[in-house]
Amino acid sequence: MGTIHLFRKPQRSFFGKLLQEFGLVAADRRTWKILLFGVINLTCTGFLLMWCSSTNSIALTAYTYLTIFDLFSLMTCLISYWVMMRKPSPVYSFGFERLEVLAVFASTVLAQLGALFILKESVERFLEQPEIHTGRLLVGTFVALSFNLFTMLSIRNKPFAYVSEAASTSWLQEHVADLSRSVCGIIPGLSSVFLPRMNPFVLIDLAGAFALCITYMLIEINNYFAVDTASAIAIALMTFGTMYPMSVYSGKVLLQTTPPHVIGQLDKLLREVSTLDGVLEVRNEHFWTLGFGSLAGSVHVRIRRDANEQMVLAHVTNRLYTLVSTLTVQIFKDDWIRPSLPSGPVAANVLNFSDHHIIPMPPLKGIDELNPVTSTPTKPSSPPPEFSFNTPGKNVNPVILLNTQTRPYGLGLNHGHIPYSSMVNQGLGVPGIGATQGFRTGFTNIPGRYGTNNRIGQPRP
Amino acid sequence: MAKMAEHPEGHHDSALTHMLYTAIAFLGVADHKGGVLLLVLALCCKVGFHTASRKLSLDVGGAKRLQALSHLVSVLLLCPWVIVLSVTTESKVESWFSLITPFTTVIFFVMILDFYVDAICSVKIEVNKCARYGSFTVFISALLFGNFWTHPITDQLRAMNRAAHQESTEHVLSGGVVVSAIFFILSANILSSPSKRGQKGTLIGYSPEGTPLYNFMGDAFQHTSQSIPRFIKESLKQILEENDSRQIFYFLCLNLLFTFVELFYGVLTNSLGLISDGFHMLFDCSALVMGLFAALMSRWKATRIFSYGYGRIEILSGFINGLFLMVIAFFVFMESVARLIDPPELDTHMLTPVSVGGLIVNLIGICAFSHAHNHTHGASQGSCHSSDHSHSHHTHSHSDHGHGHSHGPAGGGMNANMRGVFLHVLADTLGSVGVIVSTILIEQFGWFIADPLCSLFIAILIFLSVIPLIKDACQVLLLRLPPEYEKELHLALEKIQKIEGLISYRDPHFWRHSANIVAGTIHIQVTSDVLEQRIVQQVTGILKDAGVNNLTIQVEKEAYFQHMSGLSTGFHDVLAMTKQMESMKYYKDGTYIM
Repeated sequence: MGTIHLFRKPQRSFFGKLLQEFGLVAADRRTWKILLFGVINLTCTGFLLMWCSSTNSIALTAYTYLTIFDLFSLMTCLISYWVMMRKPSPVYSFGFERLEVLAVFASTVLAQLGALFILKESVERFLEQPEIHTGRLLVGTFVALSFNLFTMLSIRNKPFAYVSEAASTSWLQEHVADLSRSVCGIIPGLSSVFLPRMNPFVLIDLAGAFALCITYMLIEINNYFAVDTASAIAIALMTFGTMYPMSVYSGKVLLQTTPPHVIGQLDKLLREVSTLDGVLEVRNEHFWTLGFGSLAGSVHVRIRRDANEQMVLAHVTNRLYTLVSTLTVQIFKDDWIRPSLPSGPVAANVLNFSDHHIIPMPPLKGIDELNPVTSTPTKPSSPPPEFSFNTPGKNVNPVILLNTQTRPYGLGLNHGHIPYSSMVNQGLGVPGIGATQGFRTGFTNIPGRYGTNNRIGQPRP
Repeated sequence: MAKMAEHPEGHHDSALTHMLYTAIAFLGVADHKGGVLLLVLALCCKVGFHTASRKLSLDVGGAKRLQALSHLVSVLLLCPWVIVLSVTTESKVESWFSLITPFTTVIFFVMILDFYVDAICSVKIEVNKCARYGSFTVFISALLFGNFWTHPITDQLRAMNRAAHQESTEHVLSGGVVVSAIFFILSANILSSPSKRGQKGTLIGYSPEGTPLYNFMGDAFQHTSQSIPRFIKESLKQILEENDSRQIFYFLCLNLLFTFVELFYGVLTNSLGLISDGFHMLFDCSALVMGLFAALMSRWKATRIFSYGYGRIEILSGFINGLFLMVIAFFVFMESVARLIDPPELDTHMLTPVSVGGLIVNLIGICAFSHAHNHTHGASQGSCHSSDHSHSHHTHSHSDHGHGHSHGPAGGGMNANMRGVFLHVLADTLGSVGVIVSTILIEQFGWFIADPLCSLFIAILIFLSVIPLIKDACQVLLLRLPPEYEKELHLALEKIQKIEGLISYRDPHFWRHSANIVAGTIHIQVTSDVLEQRIVQQVTGILKDAGVNNLTIQVEKEAYFQHMSGLSTGFHDVLAMTKQMESMKYYKDGTYIM
């Protein structure tokens, strides 16, 4: 396929691309705030590293790594702004939401690797304990602590806030929660600060600073240098404890797993689906989280031979759409080649749908009495079967179908011009690939939200 | 021993006090600590007495009787002492009458009040509350006693053998005692408060009766527990089953062996350099262990949560290994920059044999892994060629597309895990080579700058070699269209468009899930007169040939959208839609995109 390469943009340098992407984000004022914090962070980290080498304290180094982690979290925040701006590209057809997850995963894993290095270093230091100078130790501690807390509390870091809420609690949080539960039993006013669970980052910053203060005191009073190594190990272990649940959570998202908390809901929906009329079995169900929160999934539904595929498809999609925003349902029948008796009238019935358009329906008259949940007419006399297909849906009539020739409407469809032409110009002209394909659907009367995937605008839970 | 002789409080009145003093001094603790020890001893005795008294009081017939008996016994026990002491030592007591008030207070408080309060509390209040508030009263009363001990009124009560109103410079209550008492109270409260554990279960649903059901098992979906030896045996068997994990395992064993020999020798010769190098090797082994676990886990069966199977773990592990190497490169870089500024004097005589040993071990590893690397590379190419082959076999009309394409330069070996491990071993080898080269340079020419330069070079090499791995793993993790299938997929999608009865398609998503799963979903719109199953079969055939092996195709007809709009739009939506339609009527036909 020469065409791809023919129209491909001339390869810009890495920094050029980076600058271009940065231009996308730079319009936002929050971006500049983050950048400001980043610069302060860098200077702060530089000073701290200098003090680390001058005090020769490994505990302070371990604490400095937390500041470096802050830098990563700032970067993640920047990435999440960028992700919000970017639309899915043909190659990354799901969009860039996962980049956020990847950034969270990478920064938590990097923090843990840093802690691993600290552990290794401190094991070596146990063999030969060097002398620690306490001169800048306390200064460094308080500079790092105040800066960390300032960053944590003044910047709304959406991805990390989400992960720290959603991930399981770390052991540090568990212990603090235990303690504070008892403390709050005595002083109830504190419960708003401590009780559900403390912010893990604030917690580890405070705990690390506390360990460093103890180190300072013991070294000042007793010249007990080994406490420095011990508190470095403590800080490293706390870092592990704090970061591990978060990296597990984001790693599970990256591994395309079904989040355990939606399994119950999913099971309920799938049970509902399998009780639909004509559905024999639901299998190959894959559900996974796309970014933080939004579910994607695909499922195969086996139906009876005489069932109406489109009706079942619509019902299944309607059921699952409440939970799964990017959904693909494959309907399949066994033995579909062999003509069966009832399939004839069904096919005829399906074909009859096209006739309905032409008949002008009394617009919006009876809609009030319609039951919007099912597309089958409600029979007041006898309790109807939950879904009986092969009857033209009553909500199908909504009139709209009169003018099938008009321009498509809906938010997913009418922005079609620009992306399409730009896509051709950029040489990604093979029309096959890309989420912007939505407007190419042949049916012009689709409601917009089923036409394309307007995932971008969706709020996260 | 000399300490024993001197008595700072003056002469001891009785042999008992003296004996105690001797015992405490023999233990080598200070006076006040000795007092604390005595208290602890008394406490233990009291606890023992309490536990024993539960049974005894039943045998004797009532707690009151037991109390009386125990006091009697203690009096009997103490009587000989009193008699002996009063006979042998001269009495210091001036008047026996002044002793009456102290005696009565002691008897009243210790014998009577204590017993009755205890009995009433244990009957009226629950046990845990009793313990809780009892400790409060104990601490508070201890504080009060400590405060008022020197008060003149208490002097009246306690003055046994001392002149009343003696101006004493005894212990005054300090702030620390108050603070510690408060903390004691708090902690006793915290410890004795009823535990609020057991709220960790996840709500599953509701029972038919309407009571909530909780799940206390952490991950009930995954595994049942096994015994440890059986688990080890099983996992060893699993490890040795497959090529990748077997190689990692053997190399890990070799590496660990070398490490322990090094550590042992280091401890034997008391060489710190060797020991720290051994720890460094152990640290490197962690990457290998992770790779081994990933290779092992990737073959587990799919579960509810991991619906595609565990294959993706290999990619994640490759990513983590890449990050690991980047961190290593970063640290080596920082270290070497620091040493460039201030080159230290090195002691090189121990370095050479160790680094040569490490080099040999790592070279073996490189040989094994590069073999595996090429092997997987070749295998993936081969399989792809075979798929191409079958593809052209199936549909003859498209035999003209490029067969001679080469796969992406780095994306060829699909197993990111093995690549990560390989790069790790490579980095180690580079490290050993660097140490050997710099040692030679230092010993021959005395260039101490060679060491940091070497490590700088190595750091940059490691960093550059890791970038492709990280990039590939990122692309897979971000669900990119697999680069090596891009062309086939383009062709396949073009072919899909030509299927009879097909109007268009939307939302084509194709991504690599793991080394051998390429998943895809696509929505296809067809005219209403074709059979959906035939379309599904055709599209599946085309995409399978293009390399997608986990496929979901949603075939939509016009009826589907009608059903959907019927199912999901309420009255207001329909109203809005009709209004929109009205306004759109005036647009010219044919101007829209189709």
